[in-house]
Amino acid sequence: MEVMIEISKHGQHVSQDGIPDVLDVMTLLSLPDHLRKTAVTLCKLDHATAEQVAEQTKRARAVESGYLNQLVLMGYVKKERRGRKAYFYIEREENPDEMKEPWEKS
Amino acid sequence: MGKIIAIHSYKGGTGKTLLSVNLSTLYANRGKRVALLDLDFRAPSLQAILKVHNSDYWINDYLNGVCDVKKTLIDLSETHAKRGRFLVGLANPSTEAIREMTAKDRKWEMKALGRLLSLKTSLLSEASLDYVVFDTSPGLQYSSINAIVSADVVLVVSGTDISDIKGTQRMIDELYELFEKKTGLIMNKVLFDVLESKTQRADLAKKLLNSNNLPMIEMIPCFCDILRTGGVSIFVNDSPEHPFVKTLDRMATTIENL
Repeated sequence: MEVMIEISKHGQHVSQDGIPDVLDVMTLLSLPDHLRKTAVTLCKLDHATAEQVAEQTKRARAVESGYLNQLVLMGYVKKERRGRKAYFYIEREENPDEMKEPWEKS
Repeated sequence: MGKIIAIHSYKGGTGKTLLSVNLSTLYANRGKRVALLDLDFRAPSLQAILKVHNSDYWINDYLNGVCDVKKTLIDLSETHAKRGRFLVGLANPSTEAIREMTAKDRKWEMKALGRLLSLKTSLLSEASLDYVVFDTSPGLQYSSINAIVSADVVLVVSGTDISDIKGTQRMIDELYELFEKKTGLIMNKVLFDVLESKTQRADLAKKLLNSNNLPMIEMIPCFCDILRTGGVSIFVNDSPEHPFVKTLDRMATTIENL
């Protein structure tokens, strides 16, 4: 199983600090239990506040907020503010820059 | 709300597709609204078993973001179900499509996971289906793990072979438990004399369950009649009095209450 995860990581995009930024099932498997629960819940909700994630996981909002921000720092999850609320989501759309040749990138 | 059931196994040839087709038909015959989706993109087989020779859209198209999932569903209620609804979504069996699906990158797999997760809304909430059954590919592949993460219940089918039992145990510990999935075990193709002996039956169940508390949903005997049909018969419809169907009927009720 671990070998399988390692093989799947081979050739994946790795961010500058050496952390992969694609939240696929192999990454989910390699996360620690507490973060996996948060990440899987966010995958299901698609776009959610820490409170909405906490409703599903039955953990405290502050705890989920901490875990979600950790996932943001790891590069797996994006965060945006709408008024006073912070929304977390997983970026699934293609980055248009990735389709371009190096000299065309902004 | 309905349930998404993924039928999975460590090794191939355990009887996942046979169980998926018959279980889905059985639920439809009970008056339920069922969709059976072929998620075995490496070896699609539902089109052959259900004798559907073409489809305007495949599940591949849905996962590629080409169409809505409802466009992939073919209604076989009239020909394959006595009551209820029986819909099927096929995997594209062409060699080109199989090759294409095996070459997908991790970003695509991540999007595919999102699309499978959204079936809960599109098929269970909006289309009011009672059951969505995923016939998955065996082992630890992206498509099967995506299916497991998206399902409410995972049914793991194992044979009696020691390599299958050990592999299944590893998957229980390192896959289903990590995703906190409701999991039920099914042991298929068990020899009659093993099932008839209380001690041998208990020993075999213990071997698979190991120290896990998972429910052993059923130990299905090895029926030569099934092999003899060469996969062309849907037992639930063609031989409703067959002991295999009786076993399935009991199994379906247990799964309903999981």
